[in-house]
Amino acid sequence: MMKTRAAAALAVAVLVLSACGSGGSDTPSAQSSSQPRTLKLWHYESADSAMGKAWTEAIKKFEASHPNVKVKFEAKGFEQIQKTASMVLNSDEAPDLMEYNKGNATAGLLSKQGLLTDLSEEAAKRGWDKLLPGGLQTTAKYDDRGVMGSGKWYGVPNYGEFVMVYYNKDLFDKHKVQVPTTFEQFTAAMDTFVKAGVTPIGTAGAEYPAQQIFYQLALTKAQKPWLDAFQSYKGKVDFHGPEFTYGADTFADWVKKGYIAKNSSGVKAEDMGVAFMNGKFPMMISGSWWYGRFASEIKKFEWDHFLFPGATMSPGSSGNLWVVPEKSENKDLAYDFIDITMSKDIQNLLGNSGGVPVAADPAAITDAKSKELIETFNKLTSQDGLAFYPDWPAPGYYDVLVAGIQNLINGSKAPSAVLDEIAKPYEDNLADIGN
Amino acid sequence: MRVRTRGYWLYLVPSLLLFLVVIVVPFLMNVGASFTRWSGVGTPRWIGLDNYTRLLKDERFWQSFQHNVGLIVAMAIVPTAIGLVLAAALFDYIGKKFGSRTASALRAMYYLPQVLPVAVAGVVWGWMLHPSYGAINQIFGLDLDWLGDPDLALATVMAVMVWFQLGYPVVIFMAGLQRVDPAYYEAAEIDGASWWRRFWHITLPQIRPEVFVVLLTCTIAALKVFGPIFVLTRGGPGNATMVPSYFSYLNFFQKSNVGYGSAIATVLALIIIVVTFLFLRVQERER
Repeated sequence: MMKTRAAAALAVAVLVLSACGSGGSDTPSAQSSSQPRTLKLWHYESADSAMGKAWTEAIKKFEASHPNVKVKFEAKGFEQIQKTASMVLNSDEAPDLMEYNKGNATAGLLSKQGLLTDLSEEAAKRGWDKLLPGGLQTTAKYDDRGVMGSGKWYGVPNYGEFVMVYYNKDLFDKHKVQVPTTFEQFTAAMDTFVKAGVTPIGTAGAEYPAQQIFYQLALTKAQKPWLDAFQSYKGKVDFHGPEFTYGADTFADWVKKGYIAKNSSGVKAEDMGVAFMNGKFPMMISGSWWYGRFASEIKKFEWDHFLFPGATMSPGSSGNLWVVPEKSENKDLAYDFIDITMSKDIQNLLGNSGGVPVAADPAAITDAKSKELIETFNKLTSQDGLAFYPDWPAPGYYDVLVAGIQNLINGSKAPSAVLDEIAKPYEDNLADIGN
Repeated sequence: MRVRTRGYWLYLVPSLLLFLVVIVVPFLMNVGASFTRWSGVGTPRWIGLDNYTRLLKDERFWQSFQHNVGLIVAMAIVPTAIGLVLAAALFDYIGKKFGSRTASALRAMYYLPQVLPVAVAGVVWGWMLHPSYGAINQIFGLDLDWLGDPDLALATVMAVMVWFQLGYPVVIFMAGLQRVDPAYYEAAEIDGASWWRRFWHITLPQIRPEVFVVLLTCTIAALKVFGPIFVLTRGGPGNATMVPSYFSYLNFFQKSNVGYGSAIATVLALIIIVVTFLFLRVQERER
């Protein structure tokens, strides 16, 4: 009797679960333009970042050109959106427009689940496809399996981002180190710092920075087909092949040689950035998202940046995407807003605030530091060097890489064992794609 | 007699309904989800016991339970032991020697970590334990990577959890001691019993029920622990501080493996139910 009851309860529970189907909704017929309307907008950029400034301005412009529309903006946290997006977008609480993370495991997953609006028609009609060169379109398009690079447009990026080497000019001068242009010069420079008792590279093992160094090292030995295989599953990835083997071995070697501090495995990205801003490290390998902040907060020393020497590719991609939830009831307004964020003056503002715009007028970028950043980005995109990020290929891969690279920093596992550790979840995910 | 008590059941209906809606139904839905492959959106696909067979082979899952044993020591056993001595000392020695106000002030201090939001406490501990500029290394002249070294991380988290939990048993035990008849202590003192003997033969047996309650609630808290791990280490370095609830969370929200996350949560819930049942059985026998 008990068993029967339990089975019945289970069956009911499963039925209740199954009832949570993936609802899609049709766009309601456009309401009459005289009625007041609301555009519900979410993003997670801080107000003082380049994107935050540009989008605040875009909201003003949008309200000026849509007098009967009120923009209801809600600031969200990156983690908050990343962790709950699919649940929220499947509910009636979905916004009309939101910023979301690019990549297979994020935007790709939502597109596969039918939670995002297909923007292909709008992208062609409004010319967004012309504004975004090939490498930047990769993250905007997803196929039926949720794999980026082809298929329909599900998101529109406004800006670009990439990983570079930030360096402290004062420390370079003090230790008579030249800006390196080759990998050999780069390691020689690090040796100079180590001899002087200075740890050359500040990093953070508890979050994304350390895994991006490992990936950057692998990229020095990688060609395009390897990248396509790893990021877009267009071929088999050998985790014990020359690329990842070199990445893991060299990373472990860098820790041994003191290029990277042995005690950085528990450090968070914010600590790394603050340490660099306080002049504790001569170099920091991280993304352009720090650039605006460094420009406004570093007062004690001169700093600059260069692309990682000895590599034609670096981690980087388009920025995060504007996505329009399938359940949005104001899709037309969402398209108009995206259009404004792609307009010249908003793009120029983004560029002059330390961001990497995708459609700015080069002549309008007057800030010297911003100009340098955009030039470097253009150099990287012109050599087709955006290699995306190592955690993109599989959901939850970020944590796998954090754990793996922490083991490299601590020396608690040999590089080949770490490669085994990060290979398995990748292979597991391959079996899942399209399911 | 039976007829007369039947009316009382009526008063239990509201809480029973709440219990059903808030606990039973979500739990059953979770159990249901654990037999499916589901990303949290769309239609779940029935896969029978696959999630559970996968769980049995999952090294990270078993590892996370081993860490839980350490956390039970840090959150239940050690605080209960230290809490007993502290509560007795505050009640029986400090209270009498320096007045009840001093004892109350000290009790409040021990309890403070319980009042602090776990996120705040975690961030502050994170600063104190930072390998480069952390207060702990600076004060003791050490160069240890407390939360970043896999050999130290779990022990460090355990130490933080002892600090975190200590106030709870102290408060409960002091409350329990209020109901102990002072005549016992007076008689023992007249007979020349030392403080330790009084503690061992009077205090301990008298507040045994409180000890059981504290051990049970703290063990359950240790099995479910999530917040401190999330704030301090996120299960790292490597998987050195991974615990089942965080592992379940990773599957739910990072990997969109709601089915597998539900299986982990179900196993964890069943273990907690079994532990609770065993505790209550032992307590019954004690009576």
